[in-house]
Amino acid sequence: MKKTLIITVNVIIMAAILVFVVLYAQYVNKDSYRRQVEHFENTTVTIERVTENYLEGEQSICDVWARYISSNSMTMEEAAEYIRSSHVLANASAHIVSVETKNGLSTRPKLGSSDDYKVSYERMDILKNADWIEEIGESINITRAYTNPMNGEQSLAFCNRITLKGQNGSKENAVLLRVIPISVLEQKWVFPQSELVNAELSIIDRSGDYILKGSGFKNSSFLEFYKSYNSSDTESSEELFSRIKSSTGSVTMLNSHGQECVLAFTPVSSKAGWTMLGIVPAKDLDIKNKNWVLFGVVSVGLLVLFLLDLHYTMYLNKRLQITARKAEAANKAKTDFLSTMSHDIRTPMNAIIGLTTIAEKNTADEASTKESLRKISLASNHLLTLINDILDISKVESGKLKLSPLTFSIVETVENLINISQPMIKEKNIEFSFHINQMEKEYLYTDQLRLNQIYINILSNAIKYTEPGGRVGVTLREDKSDVPGCVLLTYIVEDTGIGMSPEFMENMYTPFSRQVDSRVNSIQGTGLGLAITKQMVELIGGTIECQSEQGKGTTFTVALDIPVADRQREDMQLDPIDVLIVDDDEIMLQTAVDTLQSLGTSVEQAGSGLEAIGMIEHRHLAGKDYNVIIIDWKMPEVDGIETIRRIRSEIDADVPILLISAYDWSDIEDKAILAGANGFVSKPLFKSTLYDKINTLIGKESKSIEPEDDYSDLQGLNILVAEDNEINWEIISTLLSMYGITSEHAQNGKICLDMMSKAEEGSYTLIFMDVQMPEMNGLDATRAIRKLENPWAANIPIVAMTADAFSENITACLDAGMNGHIAKPIDVKLVIKEIRRIKEGR
Amino acid sequence: MTSMKKAVCILMAALMTLSLVACSKTKPKAAEEGFTPALDASVGGSIRIAGGYDNFEALEAEFDRFNEYYPNVELEYTKVDDYSNMIGTVLDGNDAPDIYVNYSWMYGRDQYKSSIDHAENLADPALGLDLGCIRENILLNTDDGSLPMVPVFSNTYGMLVNNDLFEKEGLSVPKTYQELVDVCKAFRDKGYANPMMGFSQQETTSVFTLVTYPYFCETVAGDPEAVEKLNSLDASAGEYMRPSLEKIDQFMKDGCVDLKACDEIENNYDAVILRFFEGDVPMMTCSGDTVSGTKKRESRSEAFIANPFAYSFVPIPMSDEGAVFLDMSNLQFSVNKNSSNLEMSNEFMRFLITQGELNEMAQNKGLMSSTVDLSFNSMYAAFGEVPEAKVLSPEEIGMSDDAVTQLRLAVFSVGRGDKTIDEAIAGYGSAE
Repeated sequence: MKKTLIITVNVIIMAAILVFVVLYAQYVNKDSYRRQVEHFENTTVTIERVTENYLEGEQSICDVWARYISSNSMTMEEAAEYIRSSHVLANASAHIVSVETKNGLSTRPKLGSSDDYKVSYERMDILKNADWIEEIGESINITRAYTNPMNGEQSLAFCNRITLKGQNGSKENAVLLRVIPISVLEQKWVFPQSELVNAELSIIDRSGDYILKGSGFKNSSFLEFYKSYNSSDTESSEELFSRIKSSTGSVTMLNSHGQECVLAFTPVSSKAGWTMLGIVPAKDLDIKNKNWVLFGVVSVGLLVLFLLDLHYTMYLNKRLQITARKAEAANKAKTDFLSTMSHDIRTPMNAIIGLTTIAEKNTADEASTKESLRKISLASNHLLTLINDILDISKVESGKLKLSPLTFSIVETVENLINISQPMIKEKNIEFSFHINQMEKEYLYTDQLRLNQIYINILSNAIKYTEPGGRVGVTLREDKSDVPGCVLLTYIVEDTGIGMSPEFMENMYTPFSRQVDSRVNSIQGTGLGLAITKQMVELIGGTIECQSEQGKGTTFTVALDIPVADRQREDMQLDPIDVLIVDDDEIMLQTAVDTLQSLGTSVEQAGSGLEAIGMIEHRHLAGKDYNVIIIDWKMPEVDGIETIRRIRSEIDADVPILLISAYDWSDIEDKAILAGANGFVSKPLFKSTLYDKINTLIGKESKSIEPEDDYSDLQGLNILVAEDNEINWEIISTLLSMYGITSEHAQNGKICLDMMSKAEEGSYTLIFMDVQMPEMNGLDATRAIRKLENPWAANIPIVAMTADAFSENITACLDAGMNGHIAKPIDVKLVIKEIRRIKEGR
Repeated sequence: MTSMKKAVCILMAALMTLSLVACSKTKPKAAEEGFTPALDASVGGSIRIAGGYDNFEALEAEFDRFNEYYPNVELEYTKVDDYSNMIGTVLDGNDAPDIYVNYSWMYGRDQYKSSIDHAENLADPALGLDLGCIRENILLNTDDGSLPMVPVFSNTYGMLVNNDLFEKEGLSVPKTYQELVDVCKAFRDKGYANPMMGFSQQETTSVFTLVTYPYFCETVAGDPEAVEKLNSLDASAGEYMRPSLEKIDQFMKDGCVDLKACDEIENNYDAVILRFFEGDVPMMTCSGDTVSGTKKRESRSEAFIANPFAYSFVPIPMSDEGAVFLDMSNLQFSVNKNSSNLEMSNEFMRFLITQGELNEMAQNKGLMSSTVDLSFNSMYAAFGEVPEAKVLSPEEIGMSDDAVTQLRLAVFSVGRGDKTIDEAIAGYGSAE
């Protein structure tokens, strides 16, 4: 949903709520207003009662006076004196006025005089006609408000007609007025409630003229007042007026200020034709303030809620956007990864397929076919590395990579490292050196597979990124570790390659990162190696450091604390023979001297071939020939082969000579043998390697030396292969047959189990067991075999031969009762090595 | 984000608009005209004003405007019965007003002394009243130069003119006596039985007085000796009335009015107005007081409701030199100098005595304004067009009430044909 739509919907909901609040508030207001109007009507009625009582009270006083005066035949003076004597109200007065002359006496003197009691109503209209004054006791006879002629105060008067004794004893009709100042009445005649502070009262007579008039009532007549300020036709006004005079209720009208007012009316019950009126501004009854507060609070509340929601929604959206961006980036990374993989897989695949085609076409040309197969092998190995890397990084990133420590030989690891590196070194004509230093412990206990990966990755990178003719040097040093039971193995690889930029170094351990360099792009790689290496180094608990400068080279240093294995080679000591070691590499020379001396030999060294020849000749002439001469191949001026050739031709044809090289010596093998070399040994010169080689040369074969090209020990072996894939079965059976080993096929674990159940003792030397197979997998089959009653069958060596190549797979195999693990695709040398290991019970 | 900002902006703008609407107040109309309150606007209280009217709506309306500056001040208007005789007592009593209606004719009369004595000198510059806006004719200072009262309305004599009838019959409102006679004849010829009418039952503001008095004033204006003699009520002074009596006699003979028809008009106020509203009388003599009642009575006249027409009040041309504008004060306001609320009372007077406010109140009341500008009200605009030489003030001329009464009686009797001119002249000073 679009943001604008959400906002619109929110605003509409808010508006709807506010409309509801307003409507509800209006309803409440109306209801409240109705009740207030009702209340005002009731109050007016109540005041009418109070007023009535007051008027009746005042009238009754007047009535009493009138009765007394009339019944006692008083003169005007006597009547005035009588009333004067019975007055109790300070402000009130009484006037006795002749009906005929409209003149009379007041009970109080005129203002400003102490003895002038004469009062005149001649110019007042209220007594022009006294007929409106009813008989004593029959009614309230009250004048309108008028100006008291004695003191000028606005007053009203309760009246009675009385009979006085006139001059000559005649009767004189007069009017007795009990005069009350309006100010006195105003003090009493107010609405009691504070909300009715602006309310005013009036009493009107049957014609609408005011008897008592509040200041809010204008004109001299209410009807005139109403007509003056309210647009209404005469008929409606009369109808309304008629209603006002005859009932109790209320109407709305405008006052003299054009203000809407509520007029309450009720008849004055004690005086026919009179009506009590109350008027109050409508707004005084219409209390809306609280509703505005409610409206304001709801508005602000909704606004705050809306903004908070909006803010929170936007916050969530932002997070979703970030997540989406991450997902997009991940997706892009995945796409890039797949693209890269596609490229990197297709490249060696192209080589494999292409070369296979070439090989098929050139089967007659053995050399060409071999070359094709060699290249296919290289491409296959690269492909395998790539696949392994992908799987490894996948496991690293998912945190599932676990170590599977085993006892292994560091010598074999290094040999393997060099063997793997040699083809590239040779291909690129790189100057390669491998120094070892104080390597005392041959057998160590860690995850050999991961250690190999670390070392190979770093070294292969160094070789890959070093230009032809460049130099790559490896140093492996054993130091004392701070961790008990461990040695600190430091692996340093230096190259004179292209180096890395500081920017790239910041992200070089990030998967798929490869330096942007035209030279780099031409080099095969997944961009995963360093990432995997770092993860594995950290997993093993070591450190990896890198120093690099673009165009100058790179140095990687890996330091690992590796536990020492319980098993070590027995004490290696040679006879006290004289050994000459020849090398132009001083470090190598010194290391070799130290190693040879530790083997108990007497060592002399020469820095060049010519020097060596001189020393050998000198010894020869002295009759103290060296027992063994060890010569490096690559030396300046005179190389190792030339030196051997000269020794053989010029000095001694029999002295055992070993040719050492850090390179693949297969190319020089023939030349070296022709020159007179007795054997070859690869750098670095491990103690055990030298021990074994020298022993071989001087005729004492070491137990530990494994036959390399003699496979007679394997003849007659019969191996049961549990493999569901026919091609794989064909490959392994064919490879085994090349070494004189027979094999039988079990298509799955169950068949394998059956075959073992039925097999006679000694039928099979061992079982190669695939893991993932139908009906019964290799692990279950192994467990079942281990439970067989026949002790031979139950204890037969079982080696996993599976594409499940991870450490945990190996562990799972061993846990299931297997004795070893060979990963597919299989390296036949490893297979043979494993067969021998099993056969020899190692 | 933009949408949200827009929504919030709209919402905030709506709230601000709501607040502004809620908080805004209409600027007082008078403020635009320059009145600046001199006192604390929050001061409360009431101003008591006493007068003879039953109700004084025009004053109420004026006070509403005053309340725009002083919202907490209330008006308490009180009608005093037998006003002229009672106002002195009221001023001495407990209900003494702060401001009260006063009359210039009370000057020099003992019985009204209190009403003059209680009055504050409104000419005091410290009060800041804009007296310059009032016509000098009716602004009457006492001998010592003080000004106890200021006229808030003025009065004059003239005639109501049915403008629609004049227009309908293609006639012009007369400017000279001859035109008046001609117009009356023309109307009569056109079937109008009463081209000119007026109240004729009593001498007070009778058609005869209304027609003659301005003419008379012109004859004695500038003749102090004549005025003095007339005021002395000496019988010999009756001769000064002769030109006026001859004029009324001629007027009656010229047949401008039908006395019999005029006698049917019962009083000089309601009846005059309602008769005029019948719509068949082109000209109706009356005073400015009567004119003030016309507006309210429009709705009471069924004839006028059925056939409304335009009308105005114009001076009556009784000579060939044109009409006289008899400029008289009507209602005057005094401030009770003993008022307990003197400061606010003076503030109200300062607010009221301006051309704008006086004109507004006069228009509301329907009376002629006391200001120099009469053009604002079409009803009285014709009086503003009278040349200055023809504007006369009876108070300036100095005729006493008794002398004027003698004149009224004389013209009344001559006009009605009860006396001859000579008899009326001979009876000057003793007529009743």
